[in-house]
Amino acid sequence: MAQIDTSSSGGKRKKGAQKKMAIHVDFTPMVDMNMLLITFFMLCTTMIQSRTMQIFLPSNDKNIKEEDKNEAKADEAITLILDTEYQDGSLLPAHDENGNTKHRIYYYEGMADEANSNVIGQKRASKGAVALSQFTTTEQGQQGIRQILRERHKDVMDEYDKLKEQWRNKEITKEVFEEKAKELATTEKFKHPVVVIKPGPNATYESLISALDELNINQIRRYSIQMPTHQDTVLLENFQKANPSVKVINPPVRK
Amino acid sequence: MGKVKIKKKSTLIDMTAMSDVTVLLLTFFMLTSTFLKKEPTVVYTPSSVSEEAIPTSNLVTVLVSAADKKDPNNIKGEGKIFLSFTGDSLISNENLRVLILDEAVKIWNKQHAKNTITLTDRERANFSKIQMMGTPFMNLKNALNMDPAKLEAEQTDLTNPNVGIPINDNNDPDGRLNDFQIWCQAINFVASDKRKEKIKDLGLDESTPEGRDKIRELDILYNAVKQGSGITVKADKDTPFASINRVFDNLQTMRLNKFTLQTALKAETN
Repeated sequence: MAQIDTSSSGGKRKKGAQKKMAIHVDFTPMVDMNMLLITFFMLCTTMIQSRTMQIFLPSNDKNIKEEDKNEAKADEAITLILDTEYQDGSLLPAHDENGNTKHRIYYYEGMADEANSNVIGQKRASKGAVALSQFTTTEQGQQGIRQILRERHKDVMDEYDKLKEQWRNKEITKEVFEEKAKELATTEKFKHPVVVIKPGPNATYESLISALDELNINQIRRYSIQMPTHQDTVLLENFQKANPSVKVINPPVRK
Repeated sequence: MGKVKIKKKSTLIDMTAMSDVTVLLLTFFMLTSTFLKKEPTVVYTPSSVSEEAIPTSNLVTVLVSAADKKDPNNIKGEGKIFLSFTGDSLISNENLRVLILDEAVKIWNKQHAKNTITLTDRERANFSKIQMMGTPFMNLKNALNMDPAKLEAEQTDLTNPNVGIPINDNNDPDGRLNDFQIWCQAINFVASDKRKEKIKDLGLDESTPEGRDKIRELDILYNAVKQGSGITVKADKDTPFASINRVFDNLQTMRLNKFTLQTALKAETN
């Protein structure tokens, strides 16, 4: 391994001069071993950055009185009914060309207007109308649910964007920004919508997380997660009847 | 004619620089890595824009298994529940596991007088070594007497009825609890027990506002659970909401209605 090079470099050497010793250590095995260790660490570690999302649910306590429960006023409420598309005859959700799962969101603002349930492809549905949206904005100019929610929380979001700009320009610190953003999201000065999330029978966990994400992005703090009622089911059926272009593939029945 | 002299060149390459680079890389990986926890099943968490990191101490992880990705129509293994407990600097993971186990067995025995469980010290010690546990109480003694490697292998077979903590029946906090609810209650008990101990140790006074503030800031399981960072649900993105909702519902019933959902980081795009 370690070689001591004692070969004379050709020329004459003075007698009595000290021999110069060049020491070569062969590092090849060392590199081999390091590479093995690196491979081991690379394979055994998580590269996915795991994060968590806080969720507060109401208590199931039956002793809570009905009047203590916060009922959303009709003009504040937006209801999102989550749905996921499935591959034909399979229990796996369908994916779009980018590899994202295809989720659908049926939404209505305020009370649902059952007669008015055929809005697709419009920029924004009128009040009470049941409309279809998704998590991403499509090229056809159809708005994603983010823009629709943003519209409802416009005053706050405009202020929030200004704050964010200030923070990006280093005019305020991150702490101040977070504090002010929190205040904005709850202040009485502005109207805040209440979002009712209803995961439908086909909804996957991802659609719930995506919906909660949209609320976070739009600084909406008031939401509830409920199971869809019979009325919602009827609503969806009417919607699908009125819009044959919405292809519905129900996954095989789970037992 | 002059001979062409072929110079003999040494083929030795100086590997020192290469070695330097690899050592640097190695150091980087060693410092930044967190080891994959051994879990009986792999789930792909959905991505979100939330940036909160997972706490490294005082954490209860509820893992919900997904349907078999290779055979998606086989859903027998979907929605099985596994639990893992992480302690803190004072209570090691092993200690915490045993504490919760003892409490849970006590509650089980109170509710099932005909099927009581008594665990030996060896069985309890075995339990303390299991990272992620998913066994019904009816099979607990049996599982703890198994060879650890064999048990681990059995736990990965999600279609086995002895794998997964039963969660289905019953939603009454005062009646007979299901297995998952018993574990939840045990967590609650242990957390508040440990809190009392800690308060006594530190000599804090709960009756004064300053004392209460100090207690609230302690890094203990009780506070983590109360503030919503102590319990985290980990589930696959393609799992139907109904399976997840079962877990939510049980947690709500056990008054553990603040918790976190595990997600993967995604950039905020417009």
